[in-house]
Amino acid sequence: MTIILILATLFALLLIGVPVAFALGGMGLGMLMLGGFSPLMAPQGILSTLDGFILLAVPLFLLMSNLLLKGGVGRDLFAAVQAWVGHWPGGLAVATILSCALFAAISGSSVATAATIGTVAIPEMINRGYDKRFVYGLLAAGGTLGILIPPSIPMIVYGFVTEQSVIALFLAGIGPGILLVTLFVVFAMLHARRSGAYTPVPKATMDERITASFRAMPSLALAALVIVGLYSGAFTPTEAAAVGFAASLLITVFWLRTMTWAFLWEAIRESAVTTVAILLIVAGAKVFGKAIALYRIPQDISAFLAQTIDGPVMFIIVVSIVLLLMGLVFEALSMILIMTPVLLPAALALGFDPIWFGIFMVIMVECALITPPVGLNLYVIQSVARTSLGQVARGVWPFLALMLVTVAVLYIFPDLVLYIPFKW
Amino acid sequence: MSFITALSRLACTIAAILLAATGVMLTYEVIARYFFIRPTIWAAELSQLCLIWGCLLAMAYLLTMRRHITVNAVTSLLPAPAQKACTAISLIAVIVFSAIVAYWGYDIFHDSFVRGRTTGSLMNLPVWIAEASVPVGFGLLTLQAIVELIGLRKAEVFGLGASHE
Repeated sequence: MTIILILATLFALLLIGVPVAFALGGMGLGMLMLGGFSPLMAPQGILSTLDGFILLAVPLFLLMSNLLLKGGVGRDLFAAVQAWVGHWPGGLAVATILSCALFAAISGSSVATAATIGTVAIPEMINRGYDKRFVYGLLAAGGTLGILIPPSIPMIVYGFVTEQSVIALFLAGIGPGILLVTLFVVFAMLHARRSGAYTPVPKATMDERITASFRAMPSLALAALVIVGLYSGAFTPTEAAAVGFAASLLITVFWLRTMTWAFLWEAIRESAVTTVAILLIVAGAKVFGKAIALYRIPQDISAFLAQTIDGPVMFIIVVSIVLLLMGLVFEALSMILIMTPVLLPAALALGFDPIWFGIFMVIMVECALITPPVGLNLYVIQSVARTSLGQVARGVWPFLALMLVTVAVLYIFPDLVLYIPFKW
Repeated sequence: MSFITALSRLACTIAAILLAATGVMLTYEVIARYFFIRPTIWAAELSQLCLIWGCLLAMAYLLTMRRHITVNAVTSLLPAPAQKACTAISLIAVIVFSAIVAYWGYDIFHDSFVRGRTTGSLMNLPVWIAEASVPVGFGLLTLQAIVELIGLRKAEVFGLGASHE
């Protein structure tokens, strides 16, 4: 009974428009006070969250991708990839997905990925006669790769709240990331071949390929540096982010020469705003998490699920449906922060690996980013393409289906997630 | 623009600089450690301090800019007067919450200040330097939320925030 009352109050606060951070923190504080616990736990929880060294990676990864976004790296990346695959069937669509994947390896955010590549790819594809809905859906979905392919801000947050290794999560994202990219590429080629409504791009010459690749080289080297540095243990995620930030400053100032003081200040400001918005939710969720733990709610839910749900398959199906429904209205990080403490104990009891479950949560969050009426990537593409939300939303369904297929494949072959971090 | 809003704006600018400074300090730390084999004792600790202060200082101005992450799927369907009422209730909730946190946060800060507690780390800074951020940040947020509540009567756009990742 208490559980229903607590959840109902929380959802009421969220739905009338109390900012998520303060709704979570306020609920937590209220529960602490009503339960006779010390209200000092609220400020302590906030301080201890923001004191987390790993969370420093959030502003730094954001700075890195915002600098590259302002520096116009998207154009170079897209041009380079297009030079290699542009003449394939549906070549621009394939180039778009691969550019998203490459940018995802530099950026921890799906919005930055969708915006960076979308700005360049959408006009190009539409000029070449691609179906608009397909283009918008492709970009909205391709952008979500930003949080599956490392680095990834949602993974940092998941790792922080569950006390799992962020590096293991990052490495675990690589396999599913490649699988999803492959599925998207195959679908894009089939779609292009079937509809046939586009003007193919002529095959680029070797010279053009080399020139385009050369310009994109530093960004690709940066992606490699971050991943190899993390994998070899040379950097912690926070240090990798710091080095990435410094390197992207050097690239945009000295190599591309696109950085101005105005862009730099904009990138710093924009990163700060996003960081603060994200980390305050993490802090609010910490206070809420403390309170529900003192009320023993996760244990109760876990016991309830154990009684009513029959085995891991049912569990994943039920959780997927709940997360899909929640994703209609909620945005990504709040979903991870509200649902992980509630679901993870039950998942562990059923024998799921916490890293696997983290990747599962990230893919479900990717779905939430592209499901209307509230899907952040839909808004991004809508504003980049200056079109209606409905147009964008109609294009995403096939990609949503491919993401759910990915979840099923990962369930059947968990090693796609766990091989790289643990067995390689 | 009221004095409070100007203050929040200044705090937000300082916060943005603090957060970018963490990047400079941590890059320096990596270079110092790998190339000169001389790790610093201050980079990690000062960066964390910057993160705490940065987040809590910027909080109030994010409210003014409507940049806090908010679920607006339901409220956006309501007629204007109902939206305004929801926003007013939300602001009151924010005021109550932040005032309570500021009060107890001051308690924690004051206690450490009086007892002269230190972090016990290499730099051994006084603990209150970090803890003071809670009363300052949430105090400013309380005041800013009151300003927003007063300004709501004349506001044309309702709702307290945007969607983010």
